[in-house]
Amino acid sequence: MTPSKPDDALSRLEYHVLLAMADEPLYGYALKEAVEEESDGALAPRAASLYRLLARLMDRGLIEEVEAPVDTPPHPGRPRQYYGLTSGGLGLLTAETRRLQAAAALARDRLGMAERPA
Amino acid sequence: MRRWVDAAVRALLRLYPRAFRGRFGDEIRHQVACDLERAGEQGRIAWTREAAGQGWDLARGAAAERWSPTPAGRWMDDERRLEDEGMGMKTTMIEWGRELSQAARALARVPGFTAVAVGTLALAIGVNTALFALVDRVLLAPLPYGEPEELVYVAGSAPGTDFPGEFPLSPEFFHQYREAQGLGDVAIWNDFTNTARLGDRVERVVMGVASWTLFETLRVEPLLGSLPAEDHPDPDVVLSHAMWTNWFGRDPGVIGETIFAGGQDRTVVAVLGPELWFPYEGVQLWIPEPVRIGEDEQPRFGWGMVARVTPGTDLGGLTAELDRLADRIPERYGWSTTNARLMERYRPVVRPLKAELLGDASGPLWVLLGSVGLVLLIACANVANLFLVRVEHRRRDMAVRTALGAGRGRRLRALMAEAVVVAGAAGVGAVGLALLCLPVLVQGVPDFVPRLDEVRLTGTALAMTGALSVLAALLCGFGPALRGSRGELTALKDGVRGSTAGGSAWRNLLVAGQTALALVLLVGSGLLARSFVAVSDVDPGYDTRDLLTFQIAPDQEHLVDGPSFARFHLDFSERLAALPGVEATGIVENVPLNESLGVQRFLPGTSVADPASAPLLGFTFADGDYFGTMGVELLRGRVFTADEETSGRATAVVSESAARLLWPTAEAVGQTLRSAEGETRYTVVGVVEDVLQEDLRQEADPMIYLPLVGPTPESWAMASPGHVVRSPRAADLVPEVRALVSEVAPEAPMYRVYTMESLAEESMQGLTSTLMVLGVTSALALILGMVGLFGVLSYAVARRTREIGVRMALGADAGRVRALVVGQGIRVVAAGVVVGLVAAWFSSRVLQGMLYGVEPGDPLTFGAVATSMLAVGALACWLPARRASRVQPAESLREG
Repeated sequence: MTPSKPDDALSRLEYHVLLAMADEPLYGYALKEAVEEESDGALAPRAASLYRLLARLMDRGLIEEVEAPVDTPPHPGRPRQYYGLTSGGLGLLTAETRRLQAAAALARDRLGMAERPA
Repeated sequence: MRRWVDAAVRALLRLYPRAFRGRFGDEIRHQVACDLERAGEQGRIAWTREAAGQGWDLARGAAAERWSPTPAGRWMDDERRLEDEGMGMKTTMIEWGRELSQAARALARVPGFTAVAVGTLALAIGVNTALFALVDRVLLAPLPYGEPEELVYVAGSAPGTDFPGEFPLSPEFFHQYREAQGLGDVAIWNDFTNTARLGDRVERVVMGVASWTLFETLRVEPLLGSLPAEDHPDPDVVLSHAMWTNWFGRDPGVIGETIFAGGQDRTVVAVLGPELWFPYEGVQLWIPEPVRIGEDEQPRFGWGMVARVTPGTDLGGLTAELDRLADRIPERYGWSTTNARLMERYRPVVRPLKAELLGDASGPLWVLLGSVGLVLLIACANVANLFLVRVEHRRRDMAVRTALGAGRGRRLRALMAEAVVVAGAAGVGAVGLALLCLPVLVQGVPDFVPRLDEVRLTGTALAMTGALSVLAALLCGFGPALRGSRGELTALKDGVRGSTAGGSAWRNLLVAGQTALALVLLVGSGLLARSFVAVSDVDPGYDTRDLLTFQIAPDQEHLVDGPSFARFHLDFSERLAALPGVEATGIVENVPLNESLGVQRFLPGTSVADPASAPLLGFTFADGDYFGTMGVELLRGRVFTADEETSGRATAVVSESAARLLWPTAEAVGQTLRSAEGETRYTVVGVVEDVLQEDLRQEADPMIYLPLVGPTPESWAMASPGHVVRSPRAADLVPEVRALVSEVAPEAPMYRVYTMESLAEESMQGLTSTLMVLGVTSALALILGMVGLFGVLSYAVARRTREIGVRMALGADAGRVRALVVGQGIRVVAAGVVVGLVAAWFSSRVLQGMLYGVEPGDPLTFGAVATSMLAVGALACWLPARRASRVQPAESLREG
C-alpha cells in the first residue's frame, strides 16, 4: 500500500544532502551544518536520521565514502569519514536541478512572479 | 558527553540492525555528542530538549530500520513516504496527534484497564524518578571544588604487617609528597571535636585542622574574606556557612572578629559558601596551620591527604612514584627502626577523592537504584501483558484497517498510540508521586550521606522521568503492537473467537520474567533481613539499654594533671550516681560505638622479644564503676580500686582476647605488661569480657584498660572522658545532668550526648535504611508480579470457558478443573522461580559488603523465598481456578 517512489526521485532532504556535497566531500557534522544553512534552517536532520539517509543514498549508488581532501588539517581524536558524490549522484542532482528549474520557470509564469534582477 | 548519556545513546544504537550499527554507530554517537554540547551552551532547557529530540530520533530510526515493511527501500521508508505526500515532519505530528487523541478516547472507554495500567507504570516510574533524583545529587553531581576530577585521596597500607588495612598518613608524607612530579597541590587535614566560645556561648563543635594549602588544593573561593594563601603562624580560622549563620547571624562584617576555638583565640579570615563541605558536612570551622613535624622523630599518623594530580598522570604511575618517595622518609626524618621497618612494607593507596568521600553511600544507593529499576521492568511486563490481551481484542479492528489499505507502519502506530498515552499519563503521575515520596526517601537515608538537603526534583530528574516514560511506552507497547499489527485478514473471517497460542506463550513468558525479577529482589531483602537479625542478636559485650553517655571538658585553674582531672570527674560521677533513678555511673575515655580506640604495641613485662614485633592493641582509660555500669562482665581478678583511681599505680585490666594473645598458656591476672613505647610495667589486676568497640559487625578487638591516673601525675591526664550513666530513664535524664554540669562546671558544655541504644541504632543505620527501601520495593515487585499472574490466569480461564464446559460435561469434576488451572499457573511461576534463583545467585553478590552473618548464596533464604513465591503464586491461581470450576457446562456451551 505504501506508495513506492521511482528510484530517481529525491526528497527535499536528499536533494539538499547531495547539493551540499556537490562542491567537495564532507564529513557528517559539516554536512549537517551545510544542509541546515543552505535550507535556511528548514532542514536540520538529527544524527540518526542523517546517517540513515546517507546509508540509503550509498545503497542507491549516489554517494560513496571517500578519503579526506588532501588539504584537510589533521583532526584530533577519531578520524572523520568523508562522503562524496558518485557520478550517478552528480547526474541525478543535475537532472533534478533541471527539473526544478523548469518547474520554477513555469511557476513564475503562471503566478506572475517577476524575475528578480541578478 | 556525560557518561550516562553516552551509555543511553549506545543502548539505543543497539536497537539498530548490526550492519547499520557497525557502519555508522560511532559517527552517530560522535555527532549526537557534538549537538548536545552545542545545545548545552544554551542552557539546561535547550540541552534537555535536544537530548529528548535525539533520543526520539534514534528510537524512531531504529524502529524504521528494523520493522519497515519494504526491505528494498528499508532506509528511511517512513519519511520518504510522508515527504512524497508532500508534508514531511508536520504530517507525522498531525497523524500522531490524531492517533493519540483516538487512543485517549478509546482508553477512556475502558477506565478499569486504563487505571491499572497508568497506576502501575506511574508507581514504578515515580519511585525510579525519586531515587534517581537522590542518586543524581548525591553521587553523580560533581564535588563542590574546582576541577574535582583531578583530586585524589592518598593513604597508606602496609601489607604483611599488623597495621590496619589502610591508614591515614603523617605530616612527613605531606612534605615528601609535595615533591612528587605527579602531584600538584597537596594538603593534609584532620578533624576533631573541640570547644568553641563566642561571648557567652560555649559549645563543642566539629573542627578541621589542615595545612594552609587545603583551600588552594580544593580550588575553592570564599564567600567573604580571603583564604590563607601562604604558610604563616597567625591563629586564623575559616568559618563554614553554617557556623557563620548560627553563631554570627550572617554578619557581613565578621572578617577580623575573634572566636575562641581549638584552644586559643583566633581571627576570622574567611567564610565559606553554603555549598562547600569537606570532608563531610558536619565540619563547622577550619583552622589552617603550618605543618609541623614532631621533634621526637615519632610519626603522628592520622592525617587525611588530598592532592591534585597533574594532568596526564595515570594513577598507576603516580602510586609507583609515591612509593619511591616514601622510601626516603625514615632517613630524612630520623625515624626509629620500628617505623623504618613499617615503611619497608609501605604501599601508597591512591583513589579519586569522590570515591573516598562518597564511598560509604554509593554501594547501597546503587543497589537501591538497581532494585527500583527491576520494579519498573516488572511493571512494564505487567502492562505489556494487559496490552497483549487488549491487542487480541483489536485483531478485528486491525484486519479492517489492513483491508482498507493501512500499511503495517500505520497499524503499528495505531497500537503504539495507546501505550504512548498510558506511559505519558503515567509520567505525569510519576512526577507527583516522586514529589510525594522524595522527602520520605531523604528521611530514610542515613545521615552520613552528604548533600541530602540539596536533593530536589531537578530538570535532570524530570528528563529522566520523560526518558523512563518513553522507555516504558516502548517496553510495554512495542511487543504487543508488533503482534497486533500483523493484521491477518483471517481475523475477519472467523469472527475473533479465542486467541492464538502464540499470545499465551508471550503472556506466560512475561509472567515468568516478572516472577524471576521479583524473586531477585526478595532474595536481596531476605538476605538483608537476615543480616539485620544477626546484627541485632550480636552480644556486643555490654548492654545497650538504659544507658546514657556524654562528655564534658572542664576548664578550671586547679585542673592541671592526671590526679586533679581524675578527682574532678570521679566526684562528678558520684554526684551523677546520686541523681534519682540512677543505678550506676562510670567513666571511659572512648565510649563504644562512638569513638575508636588508640592503638599501641603491648608485650608481657617479662618478654625479651623485639617490641617492634609486639601486637598492636587497642587501649582506653576507664574508671569508677565503668564495667558494672556498662554490663561488661568481670571474668577474673578485680577492677580498679578506689585508691588506684586517683593516687596512680601502674595497673591494668585486660580484655579476654588480649589476655589470650599476650599469655596464651598462663593466667593473665598477676602478670605485668608494658607498652613498646615506654618502660613502665603495668600489673594486670583483672580480665573482662570482650566488647565490640567500633562496629557491631566487626570482631571484638583485644583491649587494654588503664586507670584515669597513670604511674606519675604527669603520665597522662584525661581532661574530657565520657561519662556513662545507667538508669531506666536514661533518655529523660539529660536536663537533670545538664543542671548538674552547670553547677560544677559552668564553662563546660555537655556534648556527644547519646543513649547507647541510639548509638547501636546508628551503627546499623546503613543496613536498616537499605533493608527498608529494598523491603518496600520487593513487596511492590511481589504484588505487581502476582497481580500479573492473576490477570493472565483470569484471562486464560475466561478464554477457555467453553473448553472447560466441555470437559465438565464429559464428567471432569470441579477438583480436576481447579487442578488444571492451578497447574497451568504454577508451571509458569516455577519456571520464573528457577530463572530467578539463578539470577539471584549472581546478583546477591553486590550485597556482599552489607551482609553480616549470612552468605550471599544462603540456601535458607533462597529456599524460603522460592517456597513462599510458589505459595503466593498458587494463591494468585486460586481465584481464577475457583471461577473455572464453577463453570456451568450447559451455559458455557450455549454462549459459544
